[in-house]
Amino acid sequence: MGQHRIKKGLNIPIAGGASGSVEDIGTPREISIDPREFKGLIPRLAAREGEVVKKGETLFFHKFNQEIRVVSPVSGRVKEVRRGARRVITDVVVEVDGEASVAHKAWTLGELEKIERETAKEQMLRGGVWPLMQTRPLDQIADPETVPQGILIGGYETGPLQPGADVLLGEGDKEALQAAIWVLRSLTDGKVYLTHEEGSSNPVFSGLSGADIHTFSGPHPAGDMGVQVNHISPPRGNRKVWCIRAWDAVVLGRLFLSGELDASRVYAAVGTGLGAPRYVRTVMGAPAAFVAGSVKPGDARWIRGSILTGAKISADSGAGVFPRAVHVIPEDVERELMGWALPKFGKYSFYRAFLSGFTRSGTKTYDLRPGLFGGHRAIIPLKSFRAVVPTPDIEPLYLFKSIIAGDLEGAIKLGLLDITMEEAALCSYIDPAKTDFDVYLSTTLDTYAKEAS
Amino acid sequence: MTALTQAFHKVRHNFVDGGKYEWAFPLYELVETFLLTPDERTKKGVHVRDPMDLKRLMIFVIYALIPATLYGMYNVGYQGFVGEGTAETASILDCILRGSGWMLPVIITSYAAGGFAEMIFAVVRKHEINEGFLVTGLLYPLTLPPTIPLWMVAMGVFFGVVIGKEVFGGVGMNILNPALTARAFVFFTYPSAISGAKVWDIAGKTWFGGEGEAVTAAYTGATPLLAVADKGEKLNGAVDILAREGWQWSDMAMGFIPGSIGETSTLAIVAGALFLIITGIASWRTMAGMLVGMVAMVFVFNGVYDSMVASALSDAGIQTLADASTLGDAQREALMNNLPLPIMGLSPLYHLVIGSFAFGLVFMATDPVSSASTQLGRWIYGALIGVLVAIIRIANPAYPEGVMLAILFMNVFAPLIDYYVVQGTTRRRAVRLAETA
Repeated sequence: MGQHRIKKGLNIPIAGGASGSVEDIGTPREISIDPREFKGLIPRLAAREGEVVKKGETLFFHKFNQEIRVVSPVSGRVKEVRRGARRVITDVVVEVDGEASVAHKAWTLGELEKIERETAKEQMLRGGVWPLMQTRPLDQIADPETVPQGILIGGYETGPLQPGADVLLGEGDKEALQAAIWVLRSLTDGKVYLTHEEGSSNPVFSGLSGADIHTFSGPHPAGDMGVQVNHISPPRGNRKVWCIRAWDAVVLGRLFLSGELDASRVYAAVGTGLGAPRYVRTVMGAPAAFVAGSVKPGDARWIRGSILTGAKISADSGAGVFPRAVHVIPEDVERELMGWALPKFGKYSFYRAFLSGFTRSGTKTYDLRPGLFGGHRAIIPLKSFRAVVPTPDIEPLYLFKSIIAGDLEGAIKLGLLDITMEEAALCSYIDPAKTDFDVYLSTTLDTYAKEAS
Repeated sequence: MTALTQAFHKVRHNFVDGGKYEWAFPLYELVETFLLTPDERTKKGVHVRDPMDLKRLMIFVIYALIPATLYGMYNVGYQGFVGEGTAETASILDCILRGSGWMLPVIITSYAAGGFAEMIFAVVRKHEINEGFLVTGLLYPLTLPPTIPLWMVAMGVFFGVVIGKEVFGGVGMNILNPALTARAFVFFTYPSAISGAKVWDIAGKTWFGGEGEAVTAAYTGATPLLAVADKGEKLNGAVDILAREGWQWSDMAMGFIPGSIGETSTLAIVAGALFLIITGIASWRTMAGMLVGMVAMVFVFNGVYDSMVASALSDAGIQTLADASTLGDAQREALMNNLPLPIMGLSPLYHLVIGSFAFGLVFMATDPVSSASTQLGRWIYGALIGVLVAIIRIANPAYPEGVMLAILFMNVFAPLIDYYVVQGTTRRRAVRLAETA
C-alpha cells in the first residue's frame, strides 16, 4: 500500500476530448499493426503477404528471440506489408475474413494462483501478450530469460485526452485483472504493484489480492508507469521493473481464463480535427480513420496516442496496440501580428507571461495547434524544468545538456535511465527555446540500449 | 493579416538557401518574425508547444524597464535644474524634455552600435538575429551617466556584444552579462567619464561640452554613495551626511538623486520587479538571495562600525562624535585616522536605495543566461552577490559602486555553483538507488 501525491507536472488543457458512452462500430475491413510500436523488437515476418492467418497466429517475431511474437488480432489474410525508409516495416496489414482462432489452455482463477513461472511464460509468449509488457528503464520489450525486480500494473492514465480506467475498465474486467496478477506474480521474485487513481471508485480495483496497491494523484505524468516505478520501486543496479497497463493486463488475464486472445478494443477518437470526438469499440489495430469517424476538412495531423509522446501516422495506419486514442489536430497555424509583444487573452500557456495565465479557469480547454510559436534558440533556463519532472533527484537541464553533448556516462549519473519520455516531452513542451528534448532522449536511449545489449 | 502573410510568402524565396539574397536571411527572418508569429510546425517529438518564446521573454523585460526608463528621462533633466538652482521653476515637462535630450541619444547609440555588431555576426555566422539584444541594448545605457560621450557608448556596447556574447556563440552561451560587460569596459577604459563626482548630472553642461548655465555654490555633483564614502566626513553619521545634502530616505527611494540614467528610482525599479516576478520572467530566488546577502553582510559591517567608533572615541577620551570639536588638531587627526568611513554604519535600508543595488538586483543579476540555473544555485548565487556588493561598497571605497563588479564576478562563478548543486543531486540519487537497499 502506498499513497503518492505528485505535485510536479502539467495537465495541458487541450480541447477535443471524447465524452459519452462507448459506441460499437464493429470490425473494420482490415487492420494493421506497426512493429515499431514494440521498442527493442526487431521484426522478422512469420506470415508473408497473401498468407492466411488465424486470430492469435504469429504475424512477426523478434529476430533475436523467436519466442517473442506478435500475433494477429483477427483472422484473415495478410494483405500487405508496408515499408518505410531503409525498408523498415511500418505496417503489417491483415484483411479481415472469418472467425478462426488459435486456442490455448483455459485456466480457473484457483489454478492460476499456483501457476508456475515457466508455464505462465510459455502461454504468454505463445499467446502473443508478452510484448504488452515494457521494461523500466528503457521502455523496451521484456527479456523472458530474466527475472524482474518487480512488475507494475498501471491503472491510472493522465496523458492529454487519453482514456483511463473509468472508460476502459469495468466490473466485468475484474476477474481477468485478478488472473493477470496471479500470472505476473509467478514471473518475478519481487512484488506485483497495481496503481490506480487516488479515490477511484472503479469496482475493478476493489477486492483484488496478490498485488501491492498504490494510489497516485496529481497532474500528468502522475499516471505514467515510469514515474510510478520511480516512486514505488526504482530499478536498482542492472535490474528492471516490468510494466503493463491495467487494460493490457486484462487482455493477458483473458488469454489465460478463456484460452483465446481478446482483441476487442475501446479507442478514444479525440482532437479538434474531428467532427465529433467519441469512444468506440472495435478491434485492436483498426485503421485510425475507421476509429476517427467524421473528420473536419483541411490538412490534419494524425497522432497515435497523445500529443506529447504519440507517433505521427497516416489516416490508414492502425490505431495502435499500446495507445488507446487517435488524436487528430488541424495543421493550420494562425499567424498573429506582433504576437510576441501582446498580452494575449485566450491563449493557453504554462507561463504567466500571458494574460490568460491569470484569467484561466480550471476546466477551460484550448484549441492547441502544432505550431512551434518561436524560433529555435540556445537553451535559456527561464523556469526550472523540475516543475514538470516529478521523478526525484534529477536536474533536467543538466541531464539534457549532457545528453545533447553526447556524454552518455555523465547522463547516466544524472538520471538518463530514470527520466521518462513523458517528462522529457513536457520539458520540450514548455521550453521557450523550442528544443526537442524528447527526441534527444529517445535517440540517446536507443543508442544506449544497442550498446548495452 | 492574410495580405501580409502572402506578401512575405511572395518574397521569401529570395532569402532562403539558393535565393538571390541568401546572405540576408537573418535580416529577412528578423522582419518576418517581428511582424508575424512564426509559422514553423513541430516536426519530431512533442506535437504542440507552449506559445512562450524568447521574443516574448525579452520584450517582457523591456516592459519591466519602462518605469525606470521614463523616470530616468525626468530625473536627468530634474537633476540638471537642481544643480543650477532652478528646480522650483522647472515643470515636469521641462525636466523630461531636457532629460530626454541627453539620454535618448545614449539609448539610440547603444541600440544602433550594438545592433550593427549583432547583425554582422548573424549574417556572417548565418544564425537568426537574437532578440536578447533588445534587452542588452536598453539595460546598458540605463547604467551609464547621462553625460557620457556617445562614442564611448558605442565602443562599450560593441565590446559587450562581441566579447561578452558573440565570441561565445551568442545569447544563451555567454558567461558574462553582456550589458555589464559593456559597462565594465567603459568603466575601466574611460574611468573619468563614468566615475567620480563630475559626471552624474547635466547641471552646467551643454551637449557639446561647452559652458552651460552657472551652477549653484552648494552644487557638488556627488551621488549619495560618494557622499557617504568621503574620507573627510568621518565625523558625521552617514544618514546625517545624506540629510545635509538634502536626501531623505524617501527622496532616494523615489529617485530624486543624481546617478546613472535608469538606476536612481528604487520605486520605479520595484514596479518593474513586481512585473517580472508576477509574470514569472525573472527569478525571485536570485532577487531574494541578493537582498538577504546584502542585508546580512551590511549588518555585520554595522556591528563592526559601532565597535570601531566606540573604541576610537574612548581612545580620544570623548563621549560622542559631536564632542570632537573640543579636541585639539593633533588629537582630532588621530581620531579621524581611527574612525571608519561613515558608509560602514549605513543601514541596509539605505544601501537598498542608493547606487545601483536595486537595478542590479532586478535586472542584472537575474539574467537567466549568466546567472546560476538551479533553484538552490540561484539562492546561493544571489546571496553571494549581495555579500560582495556590501564588501566592495564598504571595505573598498575606491569603487563605491560594487554592484557591477559583484555581479560580473558571480557570473563567472555561477557555473561552479550549479556544478556543486547538481553534484549534490547526483549523489542523493546514487545513495537512493544504491544496489542494496
